[in-house]
Amino acid sequence: MNRNTFSYKLRQILMFAGPGTILFFAVVVVPFVYGLYLTFTSWDGVSAHKPFVGFANYAAAFSDGAYWVALGRTAIYSIFAVVFINILAFALAYLVTSGVKGQNFFRAGFFVPNLIGGIVLGYIWKFVFNRAYVAIASAITGGMAISPLSTTGGAMFCLIFVSVWQYAGYMMLIYVAGFMSVSDSLKEAAMIDGCTPSQAMRNVTIPLMRSSFVQCIFLSITRCFVVYDVNLSLTKGEPFNTSVLAAMHVYNQAFTYKNYGLGQAEALILFIVCAAVGITQVMIGKRGEVEA
Amino acid sequence: MKKSTVKKLLVAMLSFAMVFAMAACGGGSSSGDEGSSEGAAGALKIFNSKMEIQDVFEGELADAYEAETGVPVEVYYSSDTVAAHLSTKYASKDPYAVNMVDEKDLYSLAKEYGADMSDMDWVKDTNYAVTVDDKVVGYPVCVEARGVIYNATAIENALGEKFDPASIKTLDDFKAICDKLVKAGMETPTSIMKEDWSLGAHYLAQFIEEREDVDGYVASLKAGEAKVIEDAKFNALMDTFDVLKEYNMWKGQEGSAERELSEQALAEGKIAFMFGGNWDFAMMKDFDYTGGAGMMPVPQNVQDDYTGKLVGGGSKYFYVDASEGTSAETQQAAKDFLAWFASSETAQKFVSETCGMVSPFGSNTVTCTDDLGASVKGFADADMLIPNYPGFPDDHYSVIGAEMQKYLAGQCTREELATAIENYWKAQA
Repeated sequence: MNRNTFSYKLRQILMFAGPGTILFFAVVVVPFVYGLYLTFTSWDGVSAHKPFVGFANYAAAFSDGAYWVALGRTAIYSIFAVVFINILAFALAYLVTSGVKGQNFFRAGFFVPNLIGGIVLGYIWKFVFNRAYVAIASAITGGMAISPLSTTGGAMFCLIFVSVWQYAGYMMLIYVAGFMSVSDSLKEAAMIDGCTPSQAMRNVTIPLMRSSFVQCIFLSITRCFVVYDVNLSLTKGEPFNTSVLAAMHVYNQAFTYKNYGLGQAEALILFIVCAAVGITQVMIGKRGEVEA
Repeated sequence: MKKSTVKKLLVAMLSFAMVFAMAACGGGSSSGDEGSSEGAAGALKIFNSKMEIQDVFEGELADAYEAETGVPVEVYYSSDTVAAHLSTKYASKDPYAVNMVDEKDLYSLAKEYGADMSDMDWVKDTNYAVTVDDKVVGYPVCVEARGVIYNATAIENALGEKFDPASIKTLDDFKAICDKLVKAGMETPTSIMKEDWSLGAHYLAQFIEEREDVDGYVASLKAGEAKVIEDAKFNALMDTFDVLKEYNMWKGQEGSAERELSEQALAEGKIAFMFGGNWDFAMMKDFDYTGGAGMMPVPQNVQDDYTGKLVGGGSKYFYVDASEGTSAETQQAAKDFLAWFASSETAQKFVSETCGMVSPFGSNTVTCTDDLGASVKGFADADMLIPNYPGFPDDHYSVIGAEMQKYLAGQCTREELATAIENYWKAQA
């Protein structure tokens, strides 16, 4: 059989890449392009008519103060959450690879929060903050404690806290893989050369784990920027709409306030911001990656 | 050669099967509660958006209708937002014949897709039918009203005397009875929910709804002419709100007020009053309910034509789909169902007894089994309901609700609240 003909190659490509390509187009490319089209309409999400309005939705998105406040809040939330998720995940990974007794049990245990869906997790923690915390704090202080979820700063703190709790276990697994990939002989060599354990960690292990850091930070940034489930079930934007993050604002705009076109335009801006931050971080991270 | 052709064929079939299997997974219904739209042939498809009646609606009522008329009925429910769910059905050209929506949705969905029901008999039997563009498109499912819910049993137990809600006419009367309750040992006789829809769309909205020319007032708000802080109605309602706040069981932790706990406290007689609506009874009856709950108007010191009335009206409306996805016969079948739903004894009992809802139809004289519903029915029959204003923008409850939450938590003054309301409306112009 002649394997150099065009039809043979085409058939091979269709057979192997075809199904994947069709699926990718059906669930990613087509909805994206259609969504892009909707940003140029004043569709309310219900009507059969989608009046074309040009760039009006983008102009409206840029002048939607509440959206930019929500986006700014999301950036602050993401910075804190990403930093703490990664610090905690790294520390946990170090702990469960250092040969501590029952480390496999701990690995599984720390990973469990990630298996609970964001909605359920939000409700569980809402109960903890609203009831358990209030009851315990009131008993200790003898006064009447208020739930952290009912204060502006408190609600944001709770969101960050719960996100860290949820994602740290997952990121820990990636760091565990990173730790395991660094050969013991390199660390031993460094120690023989006179490094202290902390110097070996700083100068040998961490540089060799750079790809783990790049992955974990990328994953946590992209997840934090588009978080919606925990936001919905834990704070629902309260108190006084001061914990509405960008994705929730977009959802409300599109579905609750019935400005589908505007919501879609705001979602696109969120996507661009998220992609820009994520790609920049990966590029910077990859630049200094060390091959062992 | 032959063998390799078979192999190729197998591989091709396998890859197609995979693609279609996955596409089918993706296209399937995503929420378990939203049944498949492929019903039995000829069955009338009804969309219900009142979760609490779904079981009896799809079971008891659907069976009864089929037994009486021979027409099978399938009732669907979705936990998704009503408008979002129905727009999906329209996009897939598979609409329900009968759709239960909120009044707001009638002005978008029924305006476009709703069948004209002006000539139907039930229209003359109710005050709550909704007309859009000179066509009757909205069929009221039930009446709901908001006001102050009281627990007469709790009050009588605390004070040792009979409680007559009609005796509470002014805010001064209300404050006096709260003081008496506190003296009698009920430390916090009231509760205020913190939900934005309750504060913004239900409580504060009253100051706009309780006036002769609502549209004119809204227009003057949009034009920036109306001064909210100088408005007598606004101040009267906020004075009452201040009293509710003063005796609030959540005082000091207003932001943590949980709706279920407030309803529980009221049902069990630990508090005496709560601002809410007759829908709260669905939850109250599940607790250790003392009996004796009812609804009364929000007491205010300004006495006018609206004194002594609850704010409310039709809640949830059916419209019949007249888009190309529903044939003329199906539309007729849908209208027949609605006629039956209004006038047959089975349906009337279903509405008032089984579901405990307040029927919007004058011909339905079945006693409502729900205490708050019975109370609302009394106001409705006496024509003592102030209509809901359907013209609030979609984000009104959220934006103004957040301002009310601030006021409730003591984080803004009445002047600041009034300014926020003015600014909100000016931005709508």
